[in-house]
Amino acid sequence: MGKHLEEMTCLLYLEGELERARAREVSAHTQECSACRTLLRTLEHESRLLTRAMIEEDEPLPERLAALPGRSGPPLHWIWGAVLGLAATGVYGLYTGYLEPLVGRLDEVGFGGSDVISMLIFQGAFWKGWQSMISLIQILAMVTLAGTGVLLGRKWLRRPSAALVLSSFCALLALPGGAGAAEVRHAQIYTLHKDEVIKNDLYVGAGKVRIDGTVDGDLVAAGESVDVDGHVTGDVIAFTKNLRIAGKVDGSVRVFANTLVLSGAVGRNVTSFSEVFDQDSASQINGGLTAFSNSISLDGKTGRDFLAFANNTTLSGFIGGNMKLRGKALSIGSTAQIQGSAKFSGREPAEVSAQAKLGSPLVFEQYREEPRRWASHHYGFQLIWAAGTLLFGLVFFLVLPEFGREAAGAGQRYGESFGMGLLMLVGVPIAFGIACITLIGIPLGIAAMALWLGMLYCAQLVVGAIVGGWILGAAPAGNAWALTERMLLGVVAIRLVILVPHLGGLAHLAVILWGLGAITLAVYKRFQKETPALPLPAAPAAQPA
Amino acid sequence: MSAPGIREPAEAVQRAQAGDAEAWGEIYRQFAPAIFRFCRRALPTREDAEDATTEIFMKVRGKIGLYDPSRSFSAWLYKVSANHCWDMLRRRKGRQDKETEDVAELPLAHPEPGQLERLIEQSTSEQVRGALERLQPRARMALVLRYYSEMSYEEIAETLKVRRAFVGVVLLRARHELRQALERPGELAAGGTR
Repeated sequence: MGKHLEEMTCLLYLEGELERARAREVSAHTQECSACRTLLRTLEHESRLLTRAMIEEDEPLPERLAALPGRSGPPLHWIWGAVLGLAATGVYGLYTGYLEPLVGRLDEVGFGGSDVISMLIFQGAFWKGWQSMISLIQILAMVTLAGTGVLLGRKWLRRPSAALVLSSFCALLALPGGAGAAEVRHAQIYTLHKDEVIKNDLYVGAGKVRIDGTVDGDLVAAGESVDVDGHVTGDVIAFTKNLRIAGKVDGSVRVFANTLVLSGAVGRNVTSFSEVFDQDSASQINGGLTAFSNSISLDGKTGRDFLAFANNTTLSGFIGGNMKLRGKALSIGSTAQIQGSAKFSGREPAEVSAQAKLGSPLVFEQYREEPRRWASHHYGFQLIWAAGTLLFGLVFFLVLPEFGREAAGAGQRYGESFGMGLLMLVGVPIAFGIACITLIGIPLGIAAMALWLGMLYCAQLVVGAIVGGWILGAAPAGNAWALTERMLLGVVAIRLVILVPHLGGLAHLAVILWGLGAITLAVYKRFQKETPALPLPAAPAAQPA
Repeated sequence: MSAPGIREPAEAVQRAQAGDAEAWGEIYRQFAPAIFRFCRRALPTREDAEDATTEIFMKVRGKIGLYDPSRSFSAWLYKVSANHCWDMLRRRKGRQDKETEDVAELPLAHPEPGQLERLIEQSTSEQVRGALERLQPRARMALVLRYYSEMSYEEIAETLKVRRAFVGVVLLRARHELRQALERPGELAAGGTR
């Protein structure tokens, strides 16, 4: 008996990896050497132990693996390129077609911002009213980003530490705002009496809101009518049928109303979306006025620029800055005074009184359809919308593949889908109107309306999935990518059809009816059925050894 | 590589290659538990294993047209799985680089046969699984490829991208690591994560 065998030699011998001659030597050696025999036996035992430990079924197949996974992504890689290309084209189109000219025009009007975004967000006329909307857009963008991140990084996210960080972040987002809590009032009729002072922001929702006292902060009001005869030191933001401001507002006024009557003083700017805008002669706006209205009548004083889109405008008051107006008709009365430049783009030339005092002659631009330009804008918008829809659809169908499949399946029942779609298209806005009559119903109505708008948008995705199925054949069950692929192709087809003049409008309506109905049926079915248990594989599991 | 104990789903594979979704379902049901277990043994966490299993089957479905029916389907499936898991581990690069050096340089202690025999005889399957989880990725993968998938040395060399002559060393070092982990159950081997 010579020297003991190397462990490596023993292992290779056991694994049948030694050359024949060497294997014979090993065999002969182990006949005589008990230590090497023990080592050989132990290594063999170790191999068996390893195999046994590894093939034992110590944990069942996870539930999420019970379902058959879909086909892999590679065949769809081109879609990402196409979608990103479309999105990039859309963004470029948006910038060159809309933002650049807008900046130019706003410059002309005297709004003066070289950076339209910062002007819209941070400067005078648009400041506070848009703040909440911008926050909303930011939140939506964050949610979308987070959703995409979750989708792409779901591996990472399942790790406990990451889940903890994410949930903490969500909890942080969900925490109520701290120090700046405001006064909140709900009532059928709310009155802040003359000698009352609220030293805070006031949020009030009431059938009738009357502010005779002082709000030392912002006033945010929603109701059938809002009257401000008192003093608001901050801004007034109102969503109402009738708003009348006869008192004093130190900040800005942002209004979504049917009728706005302004007879008081506004320290800063006024932004109004209203059917009728009426400024009394006693009224004074220190800042600028931006209005989107059917009819505007200005008798008071506006310290800075006046920018408006309105059918009919009557100007008898004072404008301290420039005027830029687009609409149907403009009448400038004898008492009117415009210190800056004045530009009117309309169907008919403005009627200008000879006594009116204009800083410079009124520039009139005959408003007419510009087919080529309009067409390029139109198709630019279509491109942007199409890119947005494709991106949204991609995320939607990857996040909710089962729902997408169910909705597409429900859409195959054409009669039911169209009927339900018609019911939803007409019924929901009526229900919204009814809900909003009562104050309590407003949040519910708005939520339902938002959901309805979302469904309208998703309608084309569902119809896209069906149309894509016609083109490529039905998607195999459980294959989310195949369904998404069909949806994307279908949406592209639908958007092309929608571009066709005349027929496109009808096709769009049909798509909305059909998709809306299909989604409603799928949602209805989800509520109806009980949650079924996941089907675990019935066949015996294969395993080696 | 052989995969004993597995009924080769030749007919189902043929139908799956022709685009039959049902056949694909049959294949999935037959092999998913084994592939999940393979991934579970090879990868650090259960989540990794779940993801890898899903991705492997999606990959296999996409590549089913490339499968040569004259060869064993299960062997092919394990090969794809091994490559996928090893790629996943390699992507966690820093750890891998460090390990490559370690493997090449660490000396191997010769075991005392009686002591080793006692250790092996006293160890349970559960302890071995626990110890496996604490091994370096390459050691762990090598053991899984050899003793779970029963891959040949050539196939292991190809998967781990090492010379064939080096496979024995990798396996032996892996066994040594495993023994260390069995002897000191509380310690976490470098690179082992849960």
